[in-house]
Amino acid sequence: MNNGGVLVVGGGIAGIQAAIDLANMGLQVYLVERTPSIGGRMAQLDKTFPTNDCSMCILAPKMIECASHQNVQLLTYSEVEDVSGGPGHFSVTVRKKPRYVDVTRCTGCGDCVEKCPRRVYDEFNVGLGKRKAIYLPFPQAVPRKVTIDAESCLYLTKGRCRVCEETCQAGAINFEPQEEMLELEVGAIVLATGFDPFDPTALEEYGYGRIENVITGLEYERLISASGPTEGHLKRPSDGKVPERIAFIQCVGSRDVNYKAYCSSVCCMHATKEAILANEHYPGLKSFIFYTDMRAVGKQFQEYLIRAREEYDVTYVRSRPGKITVDEETGNPIVWYDATVVKEAGDPVRRVTSMEVDLVVLCQALVPHGFHVEIAEKLGLTLDEGGFIAIQDKLLRPVDTTVPGIFACGFCQGPQDIPDSVVQASATAARVAESLTPLKEELEHA
Amino acid sequence: MPRTRVGVFVCHCGNNIGGVVRVPEVVEYARTLPNVVYAEDNLYTCSEEGLSSIREQIREQALNRVVVASCTPRTHEPLFQSTCEEAGLNKYLFEFVNIREHCAWVHMHDPARATEKAKELVRMGVAKACYLEPQEEFESEVFPAALVIGGGMAGMTAALALANQGIKVHLVERGPHLGGLVRTVQTLFPTEQATAEVVHPLIARVSAHSEITLHLESEVEDAAGFIGDFDVSIRSNGELQDLKVGTIIVATGAEELRPVGLYRYSELPNVVTQLEFEEKFKTGAELPDSVVMINCVGARVPERTYCGRFCCSTAIKNAIWLKEQNPQTNVYILHRDVMAYGVDIEKFYRRAMELGVRFVRYDLESPPVVLGEGRAEAVRVQHQLMGRELDLPADLVVLTTPLVPREDNERLAQLLKVPLGGEGFFLEAHLKLRPIEFATDGVYVCGSARYPSNIPESVSQAYAAAAKASIPIGEGLVRVAAITAVCDERACSACGNCVEVCPFGAIELREGRFGKSAYVNTAQCKGCGCCVAACPSGAMQQRGFDDRQLLCMIGALAEEMTDGTAAP
Amino acid sequence: MAQQPPESGGNGFEPRILVFACNWCSYAGADLAGVSRLQMPASCRVVRVMCSARVRPEFVISALCKGLDGVLILGCHPGECHYSEGNYFTRRRGLLLRKLLEYVGIEPERFQVRWVSASEGAKFAETVEQVTEQIKALGPNRPGIGLSTDPTRR
Repeated sequence: MNNGGVLVVGGGIAGIQAAIDLANMGLQVYLVERTPSIGGRMAQLDKTFPTNDCSMCILAPKMIECASHQNVQLLTYSEVEDVSGGPGHFSVTVRKKPRYVDVTRCTGCGDCVEKCPRRVYDEFNVGLGKRKAIYLPFPQAVPRKVTIDAESCLYLTKGRCRVCEETCQAGAINFEPQEEMLELEVGAIVLATGFDPFDPTALEEYGYGRIENVITGLEYERLISASGPTEGHLKRPSDGKVPERIAFIQCVGSRDVNYKAYCSSVCCMHATKEAILANEHYPGLKSFIFYTDMRAVGKQFQEYLIRAREEYDVTYVRSRPGKITVDEETGNPIVWYDATVVKEAGDPVRRVTSMEVDLVVLCQALVPHGFHVEIAEKLGLTLDEGGFIAIQDKLLRPVDTTVPGIFACGFCQGPQDIPDSVVQASATAARVAESLTPLKEELEHA
Repeated sequence: MPRTRVGVFVCHCGNNIGGVVRVPEVVEYARTLPNVVYAEDNLYTCSEEGLSSIREQIREQALNRVVVASCTPRTHEPLFQSTCEEAGLNKYLFEFVNIREHCAWVHMHDPARATEKAKELVRMGVAKACYLEPQEEFESEVFPAALVIGGGMAGMTAALALANQGIKVHLVERGPHLGGLVRTVQTLFPTEQATAEVVHPLIARVSAHSEITLHLESEVEDAAGFIGDFDVSIRSNGELQDLKVGTIIVATGAEELRPVGLYRYSELPNVVTQLEFEEKFKTGAELPDSVVMINCVGARVPERTYCGRFCCSTAIKNAIWLKEQNPQTNVYILHRDVMAYGVDIEKFYRRAMELGVRFVRYDLESPPVVLGEGRAEAVRVQHQLMGRELDLPADLVVLTTPLVPREDNERLAQLLKVPLGGEGFFLEAHLKLRPIEFATDGVYVCGSARYPSNIPESVSQAYAAAAKASIPIGEGLVRVAAITAVCDERACSACGNCVEVCPFGAIELREGRFGKSAYVNTAQCKGCGCCVAACPSGAMQQRGFDDRQLLCMIGALAEEMTDGTAAP
Repeated sequence: MAQQPPESGGNGFEPRILVFACNWCSYAGADLAGVSRLQMPASCRVVRVMCSARVRPEFVISALCKGLDGVLILGCHPGECHYSEGNYFTRRRGLLLRKLLEYVGIEPERFQVRWVSASEGAKFAETVEQVTEQIKALGPNRPGIGLSTDPTRR
């Protein structure tokens, strides 16, 4: 088998799984991740449906396995700059962005982070709380090395400070380095760039950005996380009060010809999980999920919904609310809706009505990752109408892109949950192995 | 027998440990411990300097045990272990003591107590180290062949994926042809291609591949063994054939539910399932004027709570097909949520609506009623959104049913020592991160045998299973970390407790030199230690975590608890 | 440096508690507590095992008989055991063992089983605080209590 190696772009759970499988097959893997740590979206989740496993607990061993595998070279805080060539012989240029930290010396102790005076937007916590200019994205980061964000660092922008350098006992801070360009020769490329949440500000009727107590699903996830900015206490933004009633609005931007026509697939389960967690943390808390179709199609998903209804005080209301207003005094959002299934509304006559709650969670559409278009262009890939990586032969080769030798797994090629992403990741490993094995009598086009 | 010579390396970790714990004091103390012949402190034990020092001292001081007191074994144990190996010391003679995460970092305001605690932890670590024994990691050869059970889309894909990597595959199919469930489907979703166009070439490739041995009209009769070394008996046309394989993939699929007793299915001739619809009407029968499809028949009900996942897709596919044959046909789909998840299915749903397919939502508590004598003529449904009852004219009623587990899943599950879930489908090792593996190593599952999956999903799973199944074969060896359980036959009374508690079925009772005793299959053992704690005689022990080692840690901790005299 | 046993019941009694923590969940939770710099009493000494089910009752008994003030077994939450069933065995054993301890005259609160997952650094710290307080209130353990023979002799 050609061991020119494989490039995996994206260090979320799909990229990690693909890297592990490929490495176990004896191939040299270069795992390129844009942020300072692998882990992706799964690291931001508190629990995962339908098992309610602690997300980080099941992710961390995989991150460590990946990083410590002798066949995996982790290239975090790096980006794919350029690609040329063809299947079996791609030439890739990877830009390693400067961390300003010598990773061979940094022990991840975190002393520098404590002393850094500069606080900025925290991407991992989606803007709730702040991080420092020198930072570890989250406590279980792999690799456990700090990074200096050049745009926020006082020294790099204004020539002041350098407290981190003074504090570091290992002498790991180095303000000198230029970025590094790596030239790699690989036989195949796997894309696993994942997703971004859609910004619901555009849906003005829902008041995101205007009404404080209207938040997104990902923000809610960080609030309820034990390792999040409020240590798992569900404090609503306006006054820190714990909500007694929460409304979850599904399909915000999804299944909507004005924004994204497709279904983001995981939000029904995601909302159910969040509602269950809320009630678990605060018995007596009631949740209302405003849905169009409850898409719980996976293994043990229907049973999860039944539990939500029967044990966790979750009420499903079939409706796509028309607008959300706010009670200026209390900060309580008011959801205006028309319950299409009369029975669920508890009202014999179908009418437009309103429900006052303490917190609204918008389950927004999930879209392919922001710079996905750029990467697709560099690789010569086609995108489908949803903006996802187009698959040439959906039935027989569901992880093959339109370019031979390049494969795609996980959300970047279509909305899907963790098990489906992990399956696709392993599937790309099989396809890569196949494509790198000299063909004997296989008929490519039957 | 050489005397135990322990070397202790205590790390400052810059300021992290050294700023709280008085490291030199801990080193001094370590020197006083029994069997410790050498102790030093390092600024960073994990640095090149620190590691060199370990290697050097192993040689100079003839150390045969090494204890490092620093951070956490969860990140750094492999590093120190390989450092020991480089100096010629078996890596299982290394012990890690955590005095950072568990000590310095959590007692920052109490350096005196933190230092005392660090000393005690080192004392415990040294005590355990003295009882460590060199271990060899178990290696078992992997027979370079795989077995795929089931010749449908999943089975064929997995077989080809393996064969294309040069791996020999035995593909066992109980029927006379390859193809499985998809043989009864005429057009495929989402590409709307004719099945024959897609599946026949696939069948041809599988049949022609030199690495695939096809066993048609065959079934698995018996199976034994473990990863790398499975012995399987296949019955073909009455004859038994024995095969040896390294890994096994279960791709036996599932069956469409025949809804006997529901919606007058067995009673009326024009009430059919979706597959029956395909078979009859897509092959030339006269098309009806008005078709009513009822979804969730036998699914998402108290007796069968799961969702069939792609039955909505099937109904939509067939509804679109009907409309394309004749736009005048009335097509109604009665549903309780339209499971059109993702991009393609949602798009199809929208298209169906644009073509005039009417979707009617009904309630579980007021299911539709099929009306007519001798033939179905109409379907009465309580339209949940309109809040009133409708009678929909029907020349044909199509019942959308889920796939259900095959009846012989249980037999196969027992043969392969893998579990079934509550619904009767095969149960994977972990729903989230190991969806196509079993807890039993070397056996994998894909396609609807695991849970109803459409073709792209089944095919992805098949590729994934092939990837997993190819890895042990590619490595040629299965290597197991030497923390497995081992039974001392002389002390074993064959009570069987261990066999019962082992979550992986890795233990069996067998006749040995000293009569019947428990025997651990190291290749399957995961090193949890459940069996050890369940053993009444202490015959079962765990390498690296045996009773003596753990008890002496307890003893070491307690030893100076009294007024200086020895423990009772 | 020999430790003098603290006076029983008075101020200044600092319990010594043996903690068995499973590699996959509770040991990782303890690590996270450390990484998060959550401060806690210096009462606990952690022994790493692969699964909480590895812990034999005789370890607990041995520790208490030798005079340690308390024993804590930490495992994954039920349903999340890395080895699927181990923690169920731990739970059952724990219940029986408490009854046995009571029977031989050792306060059952000296032995506890708790569940801490890998992401629950705060819970680990809380658990250490709580258990330390509870055992402090009981006062120091008395070495040699309960059994006349050393169960560890083979």
